Amino acid sequence: MKTDKIWYVTGASKGLGLTLVKKLLATGYKVAATSRNSATLSAAVGAENSENFLPLEVDLINEMSVAESIKKTQEVFGKIDVIVNNAGYGIGGAIEELSQEEIAEAFNINVFGTINVIKYAMPYLRTQRSGYIINISSIAGFAPATGWSIYAAAKHAIIGLSESLADDVRSLGTKVTAIAPGAFRTQFLTKESLVFAKNEIDDYEDVHASHDRFRNMNGTQLGDPEKAAQVMIDLAESENPPVRLYLGSDAYRRAAAKMGTLSSMLEDWKDTSLSTDFN
Amino acid sequence: MENSNQKVWYITGASKGLGLALAKQLLSEGKKVAATSRSLEDLKKAVGENENFLPLAVNILSEESVEESIKNTVERFGSIDVVVNNAGYGLAGALEELTDAETRQNFDVNVFGSLNVIRKVLPYLRKQQSGHIFNVSSIGGFTGSFPGFGIYCATKFAVQGFTESLAEEVKDFGIKATIVSPGYFRTNFLNDSSLNVPKNQLQEYKAVREVQAAHENEINGNQQGDPQKAALAFIKTADMQNPPVHLFLGQDAYDMAEVKIQAVRNNMEAVREFATATGYES
Repeated sequence: MKTDKIWYVTGASKGLGLTLVKKLLATGYKVAATSRNSATLSAAVGAENSENFLPLEVDLINEMSVAESIKKTQEVFGKIDVIVNNAGYGIGGAIEELSQEEIAEAFNINVFGTINVIKYAMPYLRTQRSGYIINISSIAGFAPATGWSIYAAAKHAIIGLSESLADDVRSLGTKVTAIAPGAFRTQFLTKESLVFAKNEIDDYEDVHASHDRFRNMNGTQLGDPEKAAQVMIDLAESENPPVRLYLGSDAYRRAAAKMGTLSSMLEDWKDTSLSTDFN
Repeated sequence: MENSNQKVWYITGASKGLGLALAKQLLSEGKKVAATSRSLEDLKKAVGENENFLPLAVNILSEESVEESIKNTVERFGSIDVVVNNAGYGLAGALEELTDAETRQNFDVNVFGSLNVIRKVLPYLRKQQSGHIFNVSSIGGFTGSFPGFGIYCATKFAVQGFTESLAEEVKDFGIKATIVSPGYFRTNFLNDSSLNVPKNQLQEYKAVREVQAAHENEINGNQQGDPQKAALAFIKTADMQNPPVHLFLGQDAYDMAEVKIQAVRNNMEAVREFATATGYES
């Protein structure tokens, strides 16, 4: 199996990012991986002495820090082939409960961090006329559950920008995939990766009940992170990766149901849709 | 059908575009309208004098300014029934070309401004156990197949995401939420005043430059959508007992949505096997 591609993975100290990095290293790939804390990252990956592993302490919302980490990867490994924008966290709460600050912070990590990485990686990918960018969205980025409005907004944004990006960079030799995973058995549903509105409003009973259901799901998620990691590796080695990928039987089922809802809504309101053109 | 003459409308970004067309149509039907713009003068000049019209100078990025304008509306008209988050602008450019500041400003206006309005108006709507929030997205918020509009699409996708969740979270309070996804309407949206382009343009992005030029030239002025008819569609939808969460406006938007749904379905079918094989062995 070919293992000559160089990977750059953000948010690699836990979750899907960590599983992916470990699998890549075990397979023989070279991997640059970022986290806010490089000691935590190295301890989690457990490959401090591997010459194939470059741990990077990066603040993703700081453009200088991102630019520096990509330059370093290029210097150490000679190129970058696959970018995985994996860093992110879940945020629960009704819109009315969440403050401007809580919302801004969620967008900083989940959206603007990803944009920064793309912006600073593209000059290298453009020059070498090849590259592959995987942006991790979520099934909430297409079929959100109750109580995750801002997370849904951020993850929808990732799908939107990935689709346009795919068109923008196709002729420059770069491919793009937005992955929308369902529930995978990581620490995502623990306080390590999930925050909630500080200002809870009692009226929002459904929202809080939905949050409880998610917390209770922790440890029983259907998805195996090892298998998700293998899918990403297979995608990176494939000729024509899809631009959108709903990953996991739960995500797939929710997406299919959502397509049905959208399709009927579009038809039910067709007359109104077609009533607004000039004659 | 309820009597919509008693409904009070609150519309952001009403000094031009669809917001202006809607405000004028409502006032011509004798309805009460509070409308916001950054400039009170522009707004008054565009809409004209009317006893049912409350023009408001609002910076939608400031929670205080938004809160004040909503309070003023309730004081003047007694309630707010229909909220239209219409303020927003287009931004062309490849992701690599746009600066962090250009990107964030587009999110500020297109996303965070609407969230400020929603956060500050909901206490009133929850109390009265009724209301309808329209969030103006775009067909570019449903399909990202618009080369050179990555950030704009991201902002409009975000609007769709939070509105879908919003519809669920406020349903029990008698409040409705609708995403409006217009196609191309003949407003000044593609003029210099509304469409921003990157300061730092890279010629290597040929597809992006071509799309940008097409929007500035061929498409601008030739849009199929009639803003006044869009206004009528808003008004009709606000009168519905069960309005849709998604409303696409224009033949072009309808066609693009239909094509997108089919494309995603085909794509899902093509990857079904490996996309659904990531569960633990049971």
